[in-house]
Amino acid sequence: MLKNYFLVAVRTLRRHLGYTMLNVVGLALGITCSLLIFLVVRHELSFNANHSKADRIYRINVDKMDQTGPTHSSGTPSPMLATFKTTLPEFTPATHIYREEGGTFAIEPTTAQGAVKRFREEEPLLFVEPAFFELFDIETDGVNAKEAIKDLNTVLLTKSIAEKFFPEQNAVGKTLRMNNLITLKVTGVIPDAPTTTDLPYSMLVDYESSKKINTFMNDSWNSTSSNQQIYFAAPEGASLKQAEDRLNEVAAKYRARAPGEKERFVFQPLSELHFDERYSTFSDRTVSKTILWGLALIGMFLVLVASINFVNLATAQALRRAKEVGMRKVLGASKTQLMTQFLGETGLITLLAVLLSVVLAELLLPYLNQLLEVEIKLYVLQRPDVLLFLVILLVTVTFFAGFYPALVLSGFQPISALKSKVATARTAGLSLRQVLVVLQFTICQALIICTIIVHNQMEYFRTAELGFDKEAIVTMPMPAGRASELMALRSELEAHPAIKSTSFALTPPSYNMDMKMSLRYDDFSIVRNFDVNVKVADEHYLKTFNIPLIAGRMYEKGDTLRDFVVNETFLKRVGETNPQNALGKKIQINGGQTVGTIVGVIKDFHLTSLREEIEPVLMGTFTRFYFFANAKIEAKNSKAALAHLQKVWSTAYPDDVFDYEFLDDTVARFYEEEARQSYLFKVFSVIAILIGCLGLYGLVSFMVTQRTKEVGVRKVLGASSASIVGLFSKDFTKLVLVAFVIAAPVSYYFMEKWLQDFTYRIDISYWVFLAAGALTLLIALATVSVQALRAALSNPVHALKTE
Amino acid sequence: MLRTVNLQKKYTTDEVETTALVNVNLHVRKGEFVAIMGPSGCGKSTLLNIIGLLDNPSSGEFYFLDQEISKCNERQRANLRKKHIGFVFQSFNLIDELTVYENVELPLIYLKIGNAERKQRVEQALEQMQIAHRRNHFPQQLSGGQQQRVAIARAVISKPELLLADEPTGNLDSAHGQEVMQLLSGLNEQGTTIVMVTHSPSDADYAHRIVNLFDGQIISENVKELAIL
Repeated sequence: MLKNYFLVAVRTLRRHLGYTMLNVVGLALGITCSLLIFLVVRHELSFNANHSKADRIYRINVDKMDQTGPTHSSGTPSPMLATFKTTLPEFTPATHIYREEGGTFAIEPTTAQGAVKRFREEEPLLFVEPAFFELFDIETDGVNAKEAIKDLNTVLLTKSIAEKFFPEQNAVGKTLRMNNLITLKVTGVIPDAPTTTDLPYSMLVDYESSKKINTFMNDSWNSTSSNQQIYFAAPEGASLKQAEDRLNEVAAKYRARAPGEKERFVFQPLSELHFDERYSTFSDRTVSKTILWGLALIGMFLVLVASINFVNLATAQALRRAKEVGMRKVLGASKTQLMTQFLGETGLITLLAVLLSVVLAELLLPYLNQLLEVEIKLYVLQRPDVLLFLVILLVTVTFFAGFYPALVLSGFQPISALKSKVATARTAGLSLRQVLVVLQFTICQALIICTIIVHNQMEYFRTAELGFDKEAIVTMPMPAGRASELMALRSELEAHPAIKSTSFALTPPSYNMDMKMSLRYDDFSIVRNFDVNVKVADEHYLKTFNIPLIAGRMYEKGDTLRDFVVNETFLKRVGETNPQNALGKKIQINGGQTVGTIVGVIKDFHLTSLREEIEPVLMGTFTRFYFFANAKIEAKNSKAALAHLQKVWSTAYPDDVFDYEFLDDTVARFYEEEARQSYLFKVFSVIAILIGCLGLYGLVSFMVTQRTKEVGVRKVLGASSASIVGLFSKDFTKLVLVAFVIAAPVSYYFMEKWLQDFTYRIDISYWVFLAAGALTLLIALATVSVQALRAALSNPVHALKTE
Repeated sequence: MLRTVNLQKKYTTDEVETTALVNVNLHVRKGEFVAIMGPSGCGKSTLLNIIGLLDNPSSGEFYFLDQEISKCNERQRANLRKKHIGFVFQSFNLIDELTVYENVELPLIYLKIGNAERKQRVEQALEQMQIAHRRNHFPQQLSGGQQQRVAIARAVISKPELLLADEPTGNLDSAHGQEVMQLLSGLNEQGTTIVMVTHSPSDADYAHRIVNLFDGQIISENVKELAIL
C-alpha cells in the first residue's frame, strides 16, 4: 500500500513538475526563513547558558530614581565587593570584573635588530580575580588559570591573540606592554571565548593591574563605572529579596544621595543579562525578548503564508486528482486511506522543501552572520535541536498544508469525482480559501507597512538635523590624560590646507560616553534637581562642529573650568526664559569645588541617539579630560587630510597606534540595531510577497480551471478578453481590500508602539497605508492577470468541450 | 443476487426537484447477464450507481446478497463493494500515474491480499485479458481497447460475484467493442453476474435479459433466453 502511495506521489509530482516546483520553492522559502530565524533566536537564547552555576549566578546592578526619571546601571562602586562579602558571606564566590575596551600593545623584539611590534586591539579585555574561574566555567585547555593570574601583571592570552602577537612562537613567558602603562607577563594560552557570552575577552588579566589602566577609578562609594561589575553565586534556595534588602541596608550608610533621589542595588540573574536592555553588558549587545519573539512570529507567519500557498495550490490540483479519488473509492478505499495517501504526498513535498531549505540556509547563513555580526553555524546533523526543529516543522507544515486538501480530496463523492464534477470552490458565503487568501494578504500588507515605517524612521535618523555638523569630521582618540602632547602640536595639525579646524574635547557632540554632575545655579543654597551633562572642550569646539551661539560668546582658552557655556535645555530647567539674563550668572559644580560664570548660550544639539531627549549641557575647558582630537576636514581631500593627521598624531604619541572614526559613522552606530531591523523587515517582506504571489498564481489557475466553461459561455456571448480578466480581478480586489482593513490598524498599533521608544520620531502618515495597499493590489492584480489572460485568450469551443 | 423494491431516486437542488427513478422493481439472479437500455437521461446510470453501492436511493428497498443496503453505513458499503462488486466504465477510469500492472493490482491492495498471491493473480488476469505484454506501460500509452481490457482485468481481479458495466464499449470502435463484449460474455459464462448499461443494441444482444428504462421507470423487459438458474 505504502509503495503504491509513494509511486503515485512521485509520479504525480513529476508529471505536474510546474506545480511541484511552485509548491516546493514556496515552502522552501518559508521554511528557510523560519530555519534562519530559529538559528538566530536559539543563538541569542543560548547566551551565558554554558556555565554549570548559570542558574545561581547574579550581577549587582543599581536602579536610581530622581525627578528626571529612572536610571539603570550595571556598574558598582569599588568598596561594594568587600561590603557584599562581609554582609552576605554565604553568597560565594563573588568577584569583581573590570572590562577595558581594547588598547594598544607593544611587544619587544626578540632579537637585537628587530623592531618593536605595536598592535591596536578593539576586542575587550577582562581583568579578573581567581574567583572568576570558580564562578564561571571558562575553557582553559588544561591551564591552571587561577594560579596563572594570581600575581600582579600577569595575563592569559586567547589562542587567536597569542598567534597574532607571537606568531610561530610559544607565547608563555613573553611580555607585552599595554597602553604604555603596564607590562604584562604571559602565563598561559587559553582557547578563544565562546561567541555566546556577555563576558567576551581576548585576554584575561589579573584584576589588580586594572587599577593602573583605569586611572579614574577610586575607592569612593560615590564613583561607579559600568566597566566594573560584580558577579556572585547565590546558595541553593537562598532568598534573593532578603539578601538584597540586607545589602541595601548596609550600603545606604556609605552612599551619598541627592534630595528626592532613590537608589537600590538589585541582583540580576545571569540568564537575564542578555535580554534586559536597561543595563549595559560587556558584550555591548542586548536583545530584548520582544524582538526575539517578534522575529519568531515573523518566521511563523512566513511558514503560514507558504502553507496557505500549498493549500491553494493543492486544492487547485484537486480537480486533476478527482478521477483517481473516484476510482479508488469505487475500488473500496476508505476515507482514512485516502487522507493518509494525500497527507503522505504533502509530507513528501514538505520533505523536499525542508531539504532544499537546509541547502538555502547554508548558503544564506554567511550573509546573515555578516548582517547581524554573529557567528552562527547550521550543523544540521550534529545538533539534535536543529534536527528536531526541522522534524517538527516537517510534521506541522505537512499537517497544516496537507490536512485541508486531503479532507477535500478524500471527501469527493465517487460518482461525481469520476465525472470530474466536483464542486470545491463554489460554496455560499466565505469559503475557507477566501479566508486563507485574506490572511495571506493581511500578513503581506502588514509587513509592507512595517517595512515602510521602519525605513522612514531610519531615514529620519540618517538625515535629521542634529544641531551640529557630522560630515567630514574625523575623531581621533588620544591616550588618557595625555592630550597636552598633541595639543602642543596644534598649529602643525592645522598646517595642512585640507584641515579646516581642530578641537580637543572629552567627546564629540554625540557620543556614547558622558560626564554628569549635580549643580547649584545662581542661588547656591539649593542643589538643582537635575544632573548636568558636562561637555569639556576647548574654545574651538563650536567652530569645528558648527554649533550656533544664541547669546553671549564662547569661552576663552584655559586649562581648568572657569567660564561656562550652557544650552537652551539648561535654561529651561533652571527656569530662565531670556538667554541674555543667564549671562553672568554663577554655577557651582563638582561638590562646590568649581565655580564659574555663564558667558554664552548655545542652541540645543543631540547628545546621543534620537531615542534620548536632549539633556541640559554645560561646557567648559578642562585639559585633563580631553579624550578626543576632532578635525573638520575637506571632504574631497580626505585622504591627504587623514595622512597628515596620522603623521602629526604619531609624532605626539610615537608609542601608540593611531585610530580614527568619521563622526557620521559614530552617529550611525547609535542606530545599528534599528538598521538591522529595517533590513530584516525588507528581506522578510519581499519573501512574504514572493511566496504570496506563488500562491496567488496557483489559486487563480485553480479558478481558471474551474470556470473554464463559464469563460467559454461568456466569450461565445461576446465578452472581451479585458472583461474576462476583470471578472477574475474583481474577486481578488475585494480580498485585498478586506485584508487591508485588517492589516492597516494592526500594523498601525504595533508600529506606533515601536516608535514610542524614540523621543524624536516620524509621524505615521496615511500615505504609508495607501502605498502598501496599492502595492499589494498591484502585485496581486499582476499575478492574477497572467493566469486570467490565459483563460480569456483561450478558444471558447475548447472551453465548452470540457463539460 | 440483487433485488430492488419500489426504488425511488430524487435529486433536489434549491428550487427544482428531479425524479431520476420511479418505483423501480428489478431482480437480478446469480449468473445472469442483464442489459439496461433507454434514452439519455432515463436513469440508467443512476440505477447502476445505486446497485453498485455508490449512491443511495431516496426511498424503497435494495437487497444485495440478501442484505438490506439502506441500513448500511458508508464503511460497510465500501466493504461490500470491494469484496463483491467490480466496475467497468465507458471512460475506463484507469489511474494515469499507475502502470497497467499497478492499476490491476490496486483492488487487491485494498483487500489486503499478500504480495505473492497478488502477483500471481495479477499475472493471471493480465494473461486472461491478453494484455500481459503491456504490463509496464502507462494507460496513455495504450489504445482504447487495451485500456478497457485493463479496466476489466482490474474489475475482475478481486473475483467479484457482480460486475457492473456502464457503456463499456461507448468509447471504442466496433472491432474493439466486440472484443470487450466477448470478454464480458466469457466472464459471465464462468459464473460472474453482469449488469450492463448500454445504448448499443448489438452489445445488448450479449445479455440474457434487456430491461428498458424510460423517464425513470421500467417500461419493458425482454428475456432473450431463460436464466441459468
